Amino acid sequence: MGSSWLDVPRDWMASLGDIAKFSWRVVAEVFDGRALRFFGETLRQAGILILGSAVVIWGMAFILGLTCGIEAAYFNRALGAPAYAGFFGAWCELREVLPYAFGYMMSAKVGTGLVAEIGAMRISDEIDALEVMGISSLTFLCSTRLLAAWMVLPFMYIAAVGAGFFASYLAVVEQIGEVSSGGYFLIFWMFQNPPDLLYSTIKGMAMATVIVLVGCYYGYTAGGGPVGVGTATAKSMVLNTVLVHVVGMLGTQVFWGTNPRAPIGG
Amino acid sequence: MMILTGKTLLSAMRPPYPYGTEFVQQFLFMLRLCWLPLLISTVAFGYGAPGLQAGNALIIFGAVDRLGGFFVLASIREFAPFVTAIILAGVGGTAITADLGARKIREELDALQVLGVDPIKNLVVPRFLALMIVTGLFNIFAMIFGIFGGVLATLTFDAPLGPFFATLLTNATTTDLWGSVLKTTLFGAIIAIVSCYKGMTASGGAEGVGKAVNQGVVVEFLGIFAFNYVFTQTLLATHPEISVIK
Repeated sequence: MGSSWLDVPRDWMASLGDIAKFSWRVVAEVFDGRALRFFGETLRQAGILILGSAVVIWGMAFILGLTCGIEAAYFNRALGAPAYAGFFGAWCELREVLPYAFGYMMSAKVGTGLVAEIGAMRISDEIDALEVMGISSLTFLCSTRLLAAWMVLPFMYIAAVGAGFFASYLAVVEQIGEVSSGGYFLIFWMFQNPPDLLYSTIKGMAMATVIVLVGCYYGYTAGGGPVGVGTATAKSMVLNTVLVHVVGMLGTQVFWGTNPRAPIGG
Repeated sequence: MMILTGKTLLSAMRPPYPYGTEFVQQFLFMLRLCWLPLLISTVAFGYGAPGLQAGNALIIFGAVDRLGGFFVLASIREFAPFVTAIILAGVGGTAITADLGARKIREELDALQVLGVDPIKNLVVPRFLALMIVTGLFNIFAMIFGIFGGVLATLTFDAPLGPFFATLLTNATTTDLWGSVLKTTLFGAIIAIVSCYKGMTASGGAEGVGKAVNQGVVVEFLGIFAFNYVFTQTLLATHPEISVIK
């Protein structure tokens, strides 16, 4: 039972330096090519990511796209411009909601999954066994997973954007039905451009990187029996949800902070 | 899961009521665990998504004073419940699953049953009630800090704060408020039931508890957002007056 109001921040303070150091080592091992020695393992992890998480992430993007769509339709009807629902849809989804949806589902599915998996290996001394066999466990377990995430997730993210767009089209045009399909798409595509997609993808990838690193850290340092794995999983989720929001805010500030990049006004 | 819901509701109603202390403990536990993550997340979300993006759009129209009105839609109706649910599921729900899962693995739940103590009445019901109430109350907390994020965004645009609050207050309706609180209370119920169920059915040693937490949080997120869609849809369709911008 939590004893003090300041337990959570104190815990973060205590582990922040550790997480940074750990992340630095994992990233460095990806870049100096040591992770490539385990390319087979990387491909296997990429396969697990695709088979295990793709459908859930797309599902989440789809549901949030629907929500965005109905809010767009009602908000623009209230403004007296139902034909402009596409504008709200394009900004709401591509710039904000889809990165968040992706981040939430990544931290729930992939982040906690990594903690559970690697934590179980730590508890049953499999990580020590790896070290004894002369394999660098950090490279084999964490760097390969990070590399796999970087290989697979951009594509998965763009597919999720597609799922979200399709959902908001369904909600605005087919369900509420106040704007024609052509009118919706005219506004929808006018209010976004390829750099927006690029920035949105960068945002999603930044979240994914943070989530994979935090998940690996908590799994790698788990201790205290089966119960410890559960606690570490819960803790990683706490940190991940907060970091997703912080990354989202910084991304918005950096990419669209002072320049809305809209095709109207001057 | 449905059976667990039914059993929980029944045993919450039926006397005796031995769960008072546990309820207070769980309530405070959730408060202590969630206040800081929720604070950071709502300010960040309110500043970034509705604040900066919508503010940018409104600046083009030269109507940045309307940002307050937009915050009714953004913060009160959608994002405050949204972020509250995410944080409560991610922080509180995972803690509950890890806790109950640990007890299941150590066979404490079986021991309770042998002692004649009903685990549903003594463990699930207090968590269920505490989480429902805490989620509803945290929603108000999230609204306040979400709007604080909006205030920060307004200041970033060098706009005066008076019009922000004026449009905020003229556009806010009681329907929005109770809709939002009702929605989050039901989110709390979803989170509590799913995490208790996943915790109490955890099995399979070291990886089992972690797996239970993992599956629990995924099911909660999908459940919350599917429910949110249906609820928003119903609320907007049945109360057309709340979407009129004043």
